[in-house]
Amino acid sequence: MEEEIFEQRTDLSKLNHAVEHIKATLAKIIVGQHETIDLIIAGILADGHILIEGVPGVAKTLTAKLVAKAIDAKYSRVQFTPDLMPSDILGTPVFNPKTTQFEFKHGPIFGNIILIDEINRAPAKTQSALFEVMEERQLTIDGTSYKMDEPFMVLATQNPIEQEGTYRLPEAQLDRFLFKIEIKYPTLEEEILIITQQHQKKNTEQLSHIKPVLSSQEVVDLREQVRGFHVEPKILEFTARIITETRNHKSLYLGGSPRASLAVVSAAKAIAAIKGRDFITPDDVLQVTPAVLRHRIMLTPDKEMEGVTPDDVIAQIIQKIEVPR
Amino acid sequence: MTRYLRRYFLLWLLLALELNTSATGNKPAVLHKDSAAVTVKAFDTKTLKKYAEDEDFAYVKEKKEQPSAWNRFWMWLWALIIYAISNTFLGSVIFKYLLPGLALAGLIYVIMKAAGMDVAALFSRKAKKSDIPYYESLENIHEIDFDSEINNAIAQYNYRLAVRLLYLKCLKQLSDRELIKWQIDKTNSAYYYELSNPAQREMFGALTRRFEYVWYGDFGINEHIFNDINRMFGEFKQQLP
Repeated sequence: MEEEIFEQRTDLSKLNHAVEHIKATLAKIIVGQHETIDLIIAGILADGHILIEGVPGVAKTLTAKLVAKAIDAKYSRVQFTPDLMPSDILGTPVFNPKTTQFEFKHGPIFGNIILIDEINRAPAKTQSALFEVMEERQLTIDGTSYKMDEPFMVLATQNPIEQEGTYRLPEAQLDRFLFKIEIKYPTLEEEILIITQQHQKKNTEQLSHIKPVLSSQEVVDLREQVRGFHVEPKILEFTARIITETRNHKSLYLGGSPRASLAVVSAAKAIAAIKGRDFITPDDVLQVTPAVLRHRIMLTPDKEMEGVTPDDVIAQIIQKIEVPR
Repeated sequence: MTRYLRRYFLLWLLLALELNTSATGNKPAVLHKDSAAVTVKAFDTKTLKKYAEDEDFAYVKEKKEQPSAWNRFWMWLWALIIYAISNTFLGSVIFKYLLPGLALAGLIYVIMKAAGMDVAALFSRKAKKSDIPYYESLENIHEIDFDSEINNAIAQYNYRLAVRLLYLKCLKQLSDRELIKWQIDKTNSAYYYELSNPAQREMFGALTRRFEYVWYGDFGINEHIFNDINRMFGEFKQQLP
């Protein structure tokens, strides 16, 4: 309707088609979880890494695998274990007796979409190996820098830290994830549908038939388009107010970084794109704020003991800030 | 014969014991005299007296500080109050019931606080929304003279601002009719979902999209488009009860 009134500024038809295609592909296997799927697509469009958290058995890995399958790109999977070493992920120089030279053997991180399963089962030493590659999209080993191919995206799954045999991820690493998406248990209706599909063997058959719907180059092009979306200064101020408030809130020991502000705006642009707009509204900002902030803020010990969650504090903060209108 | 043998055996036994004692016996220890000179040292009585009189070393004695005039006043006041209430009927009631009651309430409060329970919520009928005050709202829609502001914006050909004012006016109309609850933290979609009438909701949704395209999207707007949007706002107002 708006296209008839307002002159079209950006051609979003390709983007809308791609988004609908990915959603339809994921919906064949994944029951419900519409918000999760929207955020994952937003993460792809916003050029961000995604951390998916949930208790065992809620299809975290399956969701991440499907997203990776939907994009025609080099896909690697690393299962994080307590004895995993940085060189197991990054690669290592190996001596070649024929040439009498050391040759760098690329690790599984050299790919486009990297699925790190159960990321918090590896200790901090291994996690630290990912810092440079996640932020700068490059690796430096033995004085040589290796650029990652575009697109480069880390999709990680983790169990809640209360689970046995898990480590808390370093704050510096958490800050490098655009979103932390929490997958909850399905509703009763969704659970029945999951069992029914499994019983009819629909899932297993369809999983093998999933075909890529986007090429690597298309992902790069769509990201470029989304990056150029219009943002009103009052929305930027609104975002900055939210993030600044996290630094002054009495329940928080650590607030959001400037990287969090940038992440909110990038993610809001991607959400606007999914909704078919080339500009962002306060609704877009508020939709992505919990997923952007929940892993970047730290509660004070007393609030943590009282059972307050980061999402509770984010809701309180949002309640304080006037929506620009 | 046996008697002689017994005598010889005893003689031999005594001889053997004597010989054994002589073979294993040690020489007696010789105690040498200590020839070192011993100097007897005496404590300096003056120094001892000096330390004995020093207050820093008077561990047994407690220093008694005289209370200040201010503290003496409070001691006197409390003594007066206690005397007054302990010698009246009210005072006996306070001592017998009120103070133990307060102590019990304090104990319960501490236990509840330690357990992380919301004590204030127990005595409040309304659900606790937020313990954080709102920021001062930049604009209060109930204080804006919309008609004159909209006319000013149209007169200056500032249609973008005029659409914004029309939208705020629309929110005020909905708030006045109690169809929505105006709050600074609510987004347009929050108001959209607050409307229960489907026809109103649909119309409001269309108006919201136009407002968002103009205000947040910075889409160009001319007089023709503005008139169209203005007419829609007018029609929406007609729908309201």
